[in-house]
Amino acid sequence: MRRWLLAAVLLLGIAAAQTVGNKPPPDYPPKVFEIAKKLRCPVCRGESAAESNAGVTEEMRRQIAQMLKEGKSEDEIIQYFVDRYTDWILYEPPKKGLGLLVWLAPLIGLGLFGLGLYSYTHATAKREAAFEEAPEDEIARVEAEIARDSTRERE
Amino acid sequence: MNAKSLLGLLAVVSLGVLFWWGIKTKDAREELPSALAGKSAPVFEMELLDSFKAEWGEKLNLADYLGKKPIILNFWASWCYPACYQEAPILEAGWRRWRDKVMFIAVDTQDEKDKGEEFVSRFGFTFPVVYDPRGSIGIDYGMYGVPETFAITRKGRVVERHAGSLDEAMLTKMVQEVLK
Repeated sequence: MRRWLLAAVLLLGIAAAQTVGNKPPPDYPPKVFEIAKKLRCPVCRGESAAESNAGVTEEMRRQIAQMLKEGKSEDEIIQYFVDRYTDWILYEPPKKGLGLLVWLAPLIGLGLFGLGLYSYTHATAKREAAFEEAPEDEIARVEAEIARDSTRERE
Repeated sequence: MNAKSLLGLLAVVSLGVLFWWGIKTKDAREELPSALAGKSAPVFEMELLDSFKAEWGEKLNLADYLGKKPIILNFWASWCYPACYQEAPILEAGWRRWRDKVMFIAVDTQDEKDKGEEFVSRFGFTFPVVYDPRGSIGIDYGMYGVPETFAITRKGRVVERHAGSLDEAMLTKMVQEVLK
């Protein structure tokens, strides 16, 4: 009997923990989060308006849902936030102006690396070709010089 | 100049440009530009905190005040400690000093109403404070966080924004700016 009572109290406790202070998030369509993902949380660092639990992002998601209901397009909704916060609010840098440089930086880096690699391999190949092309009497002279030096060292 | 030196120069210049851009990109909230600078102040109509209803009415509509006097619009919250607590006495003193020439309006944002009321009575605010639990006015003003203050001219243009706690000198500068 005591065991049953203990189990019932435990279950009641778990049920209470699930409901008290654990308000379920509003049931927004996935499109709301898709748009919120493209916007920065204004009061956080490195978090989008979709991930953050800050009060301001809750309001941003509510406003996005409201604007979608009113028939506004994704671009119009994003522009609404840009008009208030400048391009800073965009989670990814805009593909224009200096923001474009950020997008192109990996390509520029890759291009520079490729060029460097090409010039290095080209120079090495050139050096090897020059060695292969050396006249036989020159090779014999260098070999004799090396042999002479090593004999001297042994003496 | 051979290809190798040109390549090296190109790499150094590219790194330099990226470094400069990284330094130039501001992330400190107080240095971020306001999209509203030089633009019309967004109007709003919002319920006032209970303490102000007797004197200022049930709701405050910003449009009713635009065109009459310049406005200092301040955003705060009771949970914003210590910044909002530091600037609160400065705001009240500023309002008492300039109330004939400048209108002061505050927005208690994303706060609990009773805590907002406590804050108001603690600092004895006598200028109207609207209660915006969702923070929708803050989004309209492109607010990054509390406290934040906007200077609005008599014609309704936002001329200055200050993010962070105000001191006396900053408030005086903002008031002088809107009185020009």
